[in-house]
Amino acid sequence: MQRGPVRRALAVVGHRLLILAFTAFAIFPFYWMLITSFKQNSDLYVGASNTAHNPFIFNARPTLEHLRILFGSTLFPTWLFNTLWVGALVVAITLALAVPAAYSLARLTGRWGEHLSIGIFLTYLVPSTLLFIPFSRLIAMLGLQNQLWALVMIYPTFTVPFCTWLLMGFFKTLPKEVEESAMVDGCSRLGAITRVVLPLAVPGLLTIVIFALTLTIQEFVYSLTFISSVERMTVSVGVPVALVRGDVYYWGSLMAACLITSVPLAILYNFFLDRFIAGFTVGAIK
Amino acid sequence: MQTRRQFIMKGGKLVAAGVAASAAGPTIFTRGAGAADKTLKILQWSHFVPAYDKWFDPFAKEWGAKKGIEVTVDHVGFADVVPRATAEVAAQSGHDIHMFIGLASAFEEHVIDLKDVVGTLEKKYGKSVELAHRSTYNPTTKKQFAVSDMWVPDPGNYHKKIWTDIGQPNGPVTYEDLVKAAPEVKKKYPQMQIPIGIGLSQDIDSNMAVRNMLWCHGGSIQDKDGNVVLNSPETLAALEYAKRLYSVGMTQAVLSWNAASNNQAFNAQETSYILNSISAYRTAQDNNLPVLENYFFVPALKGPTGIQLASEHVMSGYVVWKFSKSQDTAKEFLVALIDASRDSMLASKLYNFPSFYGAAADPGTPMNKKSESGAAWIAKQCNNDPFGSKPADKLALLAKSQPWSTNLGYPGFANPGEGEIFDTYVITDMFAKAATGTLSPKDAMTEASNRAKEIFNKWRKKGMQPGGSKDR
Amino acid sequence: MATADVALARPAAKALDSLSPRDRRLGKFLLAPALIYITLLVALPFLLALFLSLTNSSAGSLDFSFVGLQNFRSVATSAVFLRALRNTFIFTFVSQFLVIFLGNILARALLKTFRGKFLVRFLILMPWAAPISLATLGWLWIFDSTFSVINWLLKVAGWLGPGQWYYWLGDPTLGMVAIITVHVWRLLPFSTVILLAGLSSIPAEVHEAADIDGAGPLAKAFQITLPMMLPILTVAVLFGVVFTFTDMNVVYLLTRGGPYNSTHVLASLAYQEGVLGGDVGRGAAVAIFLVPLLVVMAVMMLRVSRRAEVT
Repeated sequence: MQRGPVRRALAVVGHRLLILAFTAFAIFPFYWMLITSFKQNSDLYVGASNTAHNPFIFNARPTLEHLRILFGSTLFPTWLFNTLWVGALVVAITLALAVPAAYSLARLTGRWGEHLSIGIFLTYLVPSTLLFIPFSRLIAMLGLQNQLWALVMIYPTFTVPFCTWLLMGFFKTLPKEVEESAMVDGCSRLGAITRVVLPLAVPGLLTIVIFALTLTIQEFVYSLTFISSVERMTVSVGVPVALVRGDVYYWGSLMAACLITSVPLAILYNFFLDRFIAGFTVGAIK
Repeated sequence: MQTRRQFIMKGGKLVAAGVAASAAGPTIFTRGAGAADKTLKILQWSHFVPAYDKWFDPFAKEWGAKKGIEVTVDHVGFADVVPRATAEVAAQSGHDIHMFIGLASAFEEHVIDLKDVVGTLEKKYGKSVELAHRSTYNPTTKKQFAVSDMWVPDPGNYHKKIWTDIGQPNGPVTYEDLVKAAPEVKKKYPQMQIPIGIGLSQDIDSNMAVRNMLWCHGGSIQDKDGNVVLNSPETLAALEYAKRLYSVGMTQAVLSWNAASNNQAFNAQETSYILNSISAYRTAQDNNLPVLENYFFVPALKGPTGIQLASEHVMSGYVVWKFSKSQDTAKEFLVALIDASRDSMLASKLYNFPSFYGAAADPGTPMNKKSESGAAWIAKQCNNDPFGSKPADKLALLAKSQPWSTNLGYPGFANPGEGEIFDTYVITDMFAKAATGTLSPKDAMTEASNRAKEIFNKWRKKGMQPGGSKDR
Repeated sequence: MATADVALARPAAKALDSLSPRDRRLGKFLLAPALIYITLLVALPFLLALFLSLTNSSAGSLDFSFVGLQNFRSVATSAVFLRALRNTFIFTFVSQFLVIFLGNILARALLKTFRGKFLVRFLILMPWAAPISLATLGWLWIFDSTFSVINWLLKVAGWLGPGQWYYWLGDPTLGMVAIITVHVWRLLPFSTVILLAGLSSIPAEVHEAADIDGAGPLAKAFQITLPMMLPILTVAVLFGVVFTFTDMNVVYLLTRGGPYNSTHVLASLAYQEGVLGGDVGRGAAVAIFLVPLLVVMAVMMLRVSRRAEVT
């Protein structure tokens, strides 16, 4: 099959354009958020029908005022810390509950395990806008109102079911010979799990870590319901409380908050990505 | 454990004076046997004027400190006031005092009767403004379920240059003026996106606007006895009007507006008239926006028969939960809050209007002159805006807004049915569908009327609201 | 020794009966924590919520009376509900289809190495990393009728003539487009990553063998790539479907279900009626409709995936 150099060059250009298009689609809102964070309000509140005024550039001097408000008049750093703290704990709990359960369902239970796994997955489908009312009562009874521990306790309800099911599927793709040969060599079942299976399951583990972390950071309804003190809020709740006041939106500060929260996370995910993909590939080359 | 102060306290002298005044008053309510009254937790909305929160939070804490009570103030976005209340009722614990900015009626069964608080306040200051009374008292159950400390008038905001150019330099006076002006505005300012900026969306501003249109054309949701009378030729007239106005003066944009949209559109000079409290105006001032020199106000518009009514934009309703363990302290605080009405109005940059005018009276005024004195003080502030309006009397009309301001539930009292209709946007949807032609005005009216009756009947079954025999 | 016994006793297939009692005990022990947690914290509250839908509970009160299926009856006959039901399906399936289709293209493009790939990946991951409530606020402005930067671009490019304008959130159809766009924008990174992993895991030998057999690109796609990717594709699709189906945030923040309730989905409608409107029983009834629908879809997809696993 001959492919002329022209065709090859076109293919490369086409590829780059495709990448460019997707990237533009992904970051277009973020670019807007970035300039808005530094725009003066008089530069922002101009109708879009005014073609003379370009909303994508600075038409007046950029300002640090919005950042000053975000960091000076709100508890944004505290909220970030709270969010990460809750996130870390929830990820830990999710791993602690889901990994053994998933392994058990994949290897150590029979037909009833299959059915149970579907049942567990289905509990993920119950929406939080329904559950927050009974949860309020539960949290109050446990005396956890207005405590971040309430979130740590409740968030795994939407991470554990899905992660268990996901990880179970993943464990099933690992051939049984892996543990069995380890056990032939003298390991106990538990030893085999920790020493052989888990390292191979790293992509699956990474998936659920990222998934659990993302869902926790984004969650809003429960956080609103259980936390009322401003200094204990998470980012999703605290930012609107402080920066959407009645009918006045502090757009600059709001968008800065969004960016500051997203960038580190995206960097983190990016670093994990290679390991994640590599894990899948290794698993396939049996 | 001292709760952390989040903001620097400005106007400390103001706070200290206010606190001293209220603490000097007699302890009105007998202390209950329990010593749980040592704490007080208040849930409050995030006021659009951040400076108000900077006044309120320290005020509450200092008040408490002088009495040996630990006061906590938490804030929540205005859209989350109701969900938070729901959660606390479900949990049967949370805060002691909850501030509602719409109707607290739906929560009536979960709050205590505040008759004694209102009694005390009336003895001190005379009666509250009628619309506040009708928003916080249920004549069916005879319960004073909330106490209002403030309300916010809803004037028309108009762009002086544009209206001058079309021959009405003092802005519109009647609803018909809007219909007549819209094509003129379009002709002179073709690039303006929305000549008349009245929302028809599922949000609070639109809720107020459509009720204004409804009432000024003689219609209403209920009559004064609580019967649903939405099905009427007057309602039809209002819907026909909205249809005409929409076709000449509005676009689909207004169907998606949120509370900030009309502010933003006016401040960007993309509309010539909106219905809003002074929040948008203060934003324009704070940011020195180009619209500022043309930013002016008019009172509520008049309907075809001369009815001139506008809903309050915000009506505070403080409730005390039945599960609160600090009920007496809560009641005392509410009195203290209203004692500080002058400070509240100033701290909010004239956004808050006292519900008890007498609380703004000059000290030493005799009882029967208190309301007048308070009204005079309010007028003084509005006539000479302490916050830099040019001309200084731009806000003067607000001082005369009480005659044309009314409550949700007009001509009757507020009730849970009205509240649910408000919160599920039954009336705005009716207007939106009629105005856009999605449904004929008659069909839109029928649909809304049926839903209104369904909702009212549900609450009637619980014995919380009146009427029913004369539903149309 | 027990382990050696297990190894010797293992004939060809998955003889689960060959699990030693020790293993079976371990199995139950490992499963117990998750199971207990889920039962207590999900199943029980869910049953309570189910119970609430059969009552006239209001304003969060847990003190109410039974009204049987009245809430369900009144909800199921309401036009708003039926519209919300329809919307829920449309948003979910259209956005999911787009996500899988586009994700596939993007994943393939990312298989190649090129300069700046690390940066590109970071940028593409951003939508997934952003907190949804804040990112949606950004989109709110981007779609805002007065300030939409999209409209500005279109006007400058000449697409929108004088007097023409797109009312993204004020028009029922455009509103749906806006909502679907945000869903796709948000989910694309996650699906792309999953698909990328799946594509990477297909060993090169498989493709080469197919080439030797003379298979064209389409045949390869359908007979080799697709079946091998099916388990992982199921994960991506299932997750995306559940995520979009139960989402309330995007709809609520962009349109609040408007104009006149035409863009509501079940989750946002349940919130408006149950929480904001105070009719908790009714809100619960609306939300509960979500569950059997999801169950049916989930079971169907799981079946498909299991069949693929077997082969």
